[in-house]
Amino acid sequence: MMRRLTVSRLAVVAGLALAIAVPYLGVRRYYISLLALVFIAALLAVSVNMLAGQMGLVSVGHAGIAASASYAVGWSVNQGHGYPTQLLLALAVTLVVSAVYALTSMRTSGIFFLMVTLALGMVVFGLAYRLSRVTGGENGLRGVWRPPGVSETWQFYYLCLAVLVLVMLALWVIQRSPFGLVLRGIRDSESRMSSLGYSVAAYKFFAIMISGLVAGAAGVLSVWHAEFVSPSSAGFLRSALTVIMVILGGVGTWLGPLVGAGVVVWTENALSTHLERWPTVLGLIFIIVVLFAPQGLVGTAAARLRHRRSRTRS
Amino acid sequence: MDTSSLLVHTLNGLSFGALLFLVASGFTLIFGLLRIVNLAHGAFYLVGAYIGLLVVAATGNVLLGILVAALAVSALGLGLERTLLKRARGKELPEVLLTIGIAFVIADLCLAAFGGDPKSVTMPSVLSGAVQFGSVTYPRYRLFVVLVAVLVAIGIYLVQHHTKIGAIVRAGVDDREIAAAMGINVDRVFTGMFAFGAALAGLAGVVGAGLLTVLPGADVEILLFALVVVIIGGLGSVKGAAVGSVLIGLVDAYSKAWIPELSYFTIFAPMALVLVFRPAGLFGRTA
Repeated sequence: MMRRLTVSRLAVVAGLALAIAVPYLGVRRYYISLLALVFIAALLAVSVNMLAGQMGLVSVGHAGIAASASYAVGWSVNQGHGYPTQLLLALAVTLVVSAVYALTSMRTSGIFFLMVTLALGMVVFGLAYRLSRVTGGENGLRGVWRPPGVSETWQFYYLCLAVLVLVMLALWVIQRSPFGLVLRGIRDSESRMSSLGYSVAAYKFFAIMISGLVAGAAGVLSVWHAEFVSPSSAGFLRSALTVIMVILGGVGTWLGPLVGAGVVVWTENALSTHLERWPTVLGLIFIIVVLFAPQGLVGTAAARLRHRRSRTRS
Repeated sequence: MDTSSLLVHTLNGLSFGALLFLVASGFTLIFGLLRIVNLAHGAFYLVGAYIGLLVVAATGNVLLGILVAALAVSALGLGLERTLLKRARGKELPEVLLTIGIAFVIADLCLAAFGGDPKSVTMPSVLSGAVQFGSVTYPRYRLFVVLVAVLVAIGIYLVQHHTKIGAIVRAGVDDREIAAAMGINVDRVFTGMFAFGAALAGLAGVVGAGLLTVLPGADVEILLFALVVVIIGGLGSVKGAAVGSVLIGLVDAYSKAWIPELSYFTIFAPMALVLVFRPAGLFGRTA
């Protein structure tokens, strides 16, 4: 047990050190930007993974929350507001949209939750598409420049890394808190928790709000990364890709969302120049993972490692 | 708002609702028996639409197009159920995730095969004219869509309540273990139902191709409507699908006419109300 802890801790520290060193290693700017994109995608995947891993609630609509935050930033930029107002507005919109998600889905679980979030995500997409006075319709909103201080690619890269690490730490604390314990209790048996006197719906509400905040942060970073937002950022494809990242990496694992985001973003951005049919490839990989490695890449690797270790010990 | 345009919007809503029923009934039937939320249903619809497009363009025969598309999509569903979904039977989440993966692949392959441009079917003259109701002229095709939906609804009702297959299906919905213990090959019934639901999606695709344009993304849009319909009507209930379809069809038509900017938002409102007051849907059973 001790040894496993130290090994995985060492790996995390080494990975983090490498991530910090990347801009100094003479990596091309395109790849630094791509890595920042991985971190942003991972942030959204982390917010989905929190609900999926801790509560068994798989959301196929979280891109809608992230996109709402992106649009809030984009809209206030176009209105000529400064950065503090942009962030405040993004926060307010994120809270409102998350609350709508939470209120409509907190009484559901399992596939019903999945369907409700899917429908909500599509409603956000529809609004982004049709409410063109605010959202710019199909053309989206342009000219959303990054704030001074993080405008350079390497600076922005560090911002994304920092936000991801901080969010993961915060969620780690939440998971270990009594609140996190109740969430896992609800995942394992809703009826038991409610007969113990816990208000299941209220806990779901707050869990979805926390997850929504993380998704909102991802939305702000992503509009800064692209300096642009369009309806497709709220679309089914985006939400489904995020779920694919979570499943691919391994539901409920800490590094899973990051690994999944890496695979998906790389396929989408790097592989797509050589391979036109990348969604097909990604879909097939996803199907294979769901069928043959339901614990995902990280989950399966961890299980293998544990298995081997227990064999060598005995 | 004068009565003739109100009549037109109502007819628009009813005909769109009829299309929604064709999509949602297959979706809800599959769920009712197999407990699979088939998120590839929209992709099935899209495949049906493209096949219908090809057949109607080649032969000019809509009924033939519907038949070929329904059979082809049914075969597709059958193959997918036998090879992939069967392996995840009974595991709720992996099943849904598999259908997401399938939807992904099918939509991308459709894009590869048919391109990204919007397409529409040119209907033969029998269906392309207009009908006169007093002061209102109304496209004949939209009435044909309503007719198809009513026929399908009656067909489903008759089969479910007056045939042996219907009795077997109802038994499977109520309690699949007891049904299996009674000597029913539940597995085969499941496969049959999945193929039938897929056939309905294919049929709906052809019908929808005449009503709306066919383009990449149409699969997701129709899936959204089907989801909202079954959330309102109650998962697994054909009656709920019918009521939900008409309701959402009308709401969508009126809102598109009067507040087009919020047209997606207005279908969300009834869904939210139902979720708050009756989480299982109007005709859904609480598990």
